Amino acid sequence: MVLSIQHLSKKYSKEKFGLRDYSLNIENGILGLLGPNGAGKSTLMKIIATISKPSSGTITLDGRDIVKEPNYIRKILGYLPQDFGVYANLNAYEFLEYIAAMKGVGGPNLRKRIEMLLEGVNLIEAAKLPIGTYSGGMKQRIGIAQALLNDPKVLIFDEPTVGLDPEERVRFRNLISDLAQDCIIILSSHIVSDIETIADEVAVMKGGMLITKGTQPDVIKSVAGKVFEIVMEGSAVNDFKTKHLVINSIRQKENTRLRYISDSVVNTSIPCTASLEDAYLFLTKNNA
Amino acid sequence: MHKMNNYKSIIKGDYQQRTRSYAFLITLAISLYLAYTFVPAPGANYTTVKIGKYVGENNTAWIGHVTAMMTSIFLSLFGFYLINSSIKKDRDTEVGMIIATTPVSNFKYLFTKVLSNFMVLLTITGLVSIMGIILVFARSNGTPFNIVQFLLPYLLTTLPCMFFISSLAVLAEVFLGKWPILQYIGFFCLFGIITANVLPGTGTTAKILIDPFGVKMVMTGMENLVRQQYDATATVGSVGFNLSSGQEVKTFLFQGISWSALYIISRLLWIGISIFAIFIASKFFHRFDVKEKISSRKKKNIITENIEARNVLQEIKRSALPSILTDYGILPFIKTELLMLFRKGPKWFWLVNIGGMIAMFFIPIKIAHQFVLPIVWFMQVGRWSDLASKEKTNRIHYFTYAAYQPLKRLLTSQIIAGIVIAVTLALPLLIRYLLAADLLPVLNIFMGAVFIVLLAVCLGILSEGKKLFEILFFGITYFNLNLFPITDYFGAVSSGKSLALIMLPIIAVLLMISFVKRKYEIEHG
Repeated sequence: MVLSIQHLSKKYSKEKFGLRDYSLNIENGILGLLGPNGAGKSTLMKIIATISKPSSGTITLDGRDIVKEPNYIRKILGYLPQDFGVYANLNAYEFLEYIAAMKGVGGPNLRKRIEMLLEGVNLIEAAKLPIGTYSGGMKQRIGIAQALLNDPKVLIFDEPTVGLDPEERVRFRNLISDLAQDCIIILSSHIVSDIETIADEVAVMKGGMLITKGTQPDVIKSVAGKVFEIVMEGSAVNDFKTKHLVINSIRQKENTRLRYISDSVVNTSIPCTASLEDAYLFLTKNNA
Repeated sequence: MHKMNNYKSIIKGDYQQRTRSYAFLITLAISLYLAYTFVPAPGANYTTVKIGKYVGENNTAWIGHVTAMMTSIFLSLFGFYLINSSIKKDRDTEVGMIIATTPVSNFKYLFTKVLSNFMVLLTITGLVSIMGIILVFARSNGTPFNIVQFLLPYLLTTLPCMFFISSLAVLAEVFLGKWPILQYIGFFCLFGIITANVLPGTGTTAKILIDPFGVKMVMTGMENLVRQQYDATATVGSVGFNLSSGQEVKTFLFQGISWSALYIISRLLWIGISIFAIFIASKFFHRFDVKEKISSRKKKNIITENIEARNVLQEIKRSALPSILTDYGILPFIKTELLMLFRKGPKWFWLVNIGGMIAMFFIPIKIAHQFVLPIVWFMQVGRWSDLASKEKTNRIHYFTYAAYQPLKRLLTSQIIAGIVIAVTLALPLLIRYLLAADLLPVLNIFMGAVFIVLLAVCLGILSEGKKLFEILFFGITYFNLNLFPITDYFGAVSSGKSLALIMLPIIAVLLMISFVKRKYEIEHG
C-alpha cells in the first residue's frame, strides 16, 4: 500500500495556512510525525482521515483519490484523534458497537472481537459502566480499542500516548510495532522518545511545511558532529544561550551542564552522539 | 473599586461569550419581529391587548405600555431558554474548575451570572424598545413623542421582570442543574401559572403584587379606564396575539396609567426577592464539585477508579482477533440512537411520559390532540434538541465524520430514531383515530412528528447547538396550547387536507438544509 500526498495545502484565510505545499509518500510501516504546536500535524492527519478537505493538492491510496472517494479509505481506516469525546451514557460495549456500525463492520464475531479488544485495553471490568464515569486514561484506551475494530490497513494516531502512564506507553509502542506488519501507521507525538523507539521513518514539520523526512539515521545526520556538552558557571548560562542553540540544561550545584548544537566547538566542550531529539530541535528551531 | 472592576470584567466576558452565539442572534431576530407585531398595523386581523371592544389609539403611551408588557411576557418566554445554561457552560468547558479555585464566593459568582443574564435580556429589551419608538413614529399619526411616557413602563414593568427571569434561570441551574429537562418543564409550568394571573379579572391588590411580570397592574389600569369612560362591562380577554377578523374594534385615548408607590415597591420587592433567592441558592451551589453532589455517579466513579488503579493497557495481538464482516446497514445506528434518546433525562421521567400516553387513551380525543400531545412532545425537548448536534458537543464527530457514508447512514438513523420516539408517544392517539377510521388526523400527527424532529435536526446542525430549537419549540408549544392556527404543525386546530400540503414542502426544505449543511461539515471538518 502506498499513501501518496502531493502538493497538499490547507488554507484557513488569506494569510493563515494549516499546510503548505506538502508532499510525502508513505508505505507500509510506521511514520512518526514530529513538530511543535501549530506545525500542521493534526491538520495533515485530519485530511488523511477524510475529516477535513485540503484547499489544494491530492492524496491517493494505491492510486485512488481519497479526497474525491473518501469512503475508499474509511473502510480500512483506524483513527485515534487527539481530542476526542465519548457518549457519556453508553457503556464500552455499546460505544464500540456504535463505532463498529460507523465503520461498517459487523457479523457474528463482532461481539467477541469487542470483548477481546476490551480485554486488551483492560477495560473488561468497567465495560458495563457508562463511559462518562471513566478517567482520562480509560477513555484513551477505549479510543485505542475503537481504532482497531475494523481490522484497519491505515492507522492514524494523533498524540496517542496522552493520558497513558509510562508502563502503558511501553505497551502501546509494542502494540504499534505488532500492528505495523502490513499496515500504514502514522503517529504524531510531542514526545520524541515515543517516535524514536518505533518509527521506521520520521517526518519533521513546522509551520505547515515538511522540513525533512527519512529514516531516523538520515534525520540524525543533519546534526551529526554538531552536538556538544559543556559545563559552566550559572552566571554565564544566559549569555551562552543567546549565542548557541541549547537543547538541554541541567543544574549541578553551582554549575550547569548544557547540551548544545553548534557548527563550531566551544572550548572545554565534549562532543556527543546526536539523537533524534537533537535533530528535531535543531530542525524546528533553526528553520525559522 | 478593584473588586468592582473584577465584577465588571467577569460579567463582560460572560456577556460577550453569550451574545456571540447563533441562539442569541436568532432570539434577537424573533424578538424584533414580535416587537414589530406587538402594535398591529391598521387593518390587521389580530389584536394584542384589547379591553372589551377597545384598543388604545396609537400614541406614545399606548405603544410604550403595550410593547413593554408584551416584552415582559414574550421575552420571559424565549429569554429563559436563551440564558439558562450559563453555569452549565462553565461546567462543560471546565472553566468552572478554575473559577472554583479562585477566591470568588458562591454568592458573587451566582450574582455575576444573574447580572450577565440580565445584560443579555437587557440588550434585547433595549433593541425591542427602539423598535417600539420606530412604531410610535410610524403608526401614531403625528402625535407628539414623550420619551418619559414611553420608557416608564419598560423601567417599572419590563426591567424588574427581566431581572426576575435572570435570577430564575440561575436558580433553576443551581437546583435542577442535573436535569435540564425538568428546568424546561418547570419553567413551562411556572410561566403558565404566572400568565394565568396577569389578566385583571377579580384581582385584589395582593394578586396584583404577586405578579412578577408586573403586567396585571397595567392591565387593570387600562381596564378601569375603559370601564369608567366607555364601557362598564369591558374586560381584558387575553394578552397575546388574538385573531379579530370580522370583530368590531373601537379605539380609546390612552394617556398612561398612574404608577402607584405600592406598585413601584412591589417591583423593587421582586428584585429583592430575586437577590435573596440567589443568596439562599449560593448555600446549595455545588461550586463545580459535581461528583460530591451526585451520589450515584460517585459510586460509579469509585468503581472505575479502583479498576484503573490495578489495570493498564495489555498486549493486543492483532492476528488473534476474530475476523469481522462488512455490514453497512443502519439498524445498529438506529438502535444506539434510540438507546441514547431513551436514557436521556431522569428515568422516572418516562413514568410521566407513560402517564401522558395513558391520558391520551382515555380523555376526550380533542383534548388529547390539542393539549396532551403537544405537552408530551414538548417534554422530549431535551431528547431531540441535540439529536444531530451531539457529535460536535461530545467531540464524537472525529469518529462520525470519518465513518463510512456518514451522511446517508448516520444522519438518516438519527432522524428515524427521533421520529420513532415521537410516533411512539403519540401512539395512543393514533390508535384511537385509526379505530375511528379517521385517517386524516393520523397523517397530520405523523407529519407533525416528522416536522418537529426535522426542525430539531435542522436547527441543531445550523446553530451547532441545542438552544435555538429549545427556544423555538417552547414558543411553538405555548402557541399550540393557545390554539394558534399558525403554529399548528400536527393538525390539532385545523384538520383539513391543506395542512399536509403546507407541511410537506416545509419538511422537504428542512431535510434538504440538514443534509446539505451536514455534507458541508463532513467535507470541511
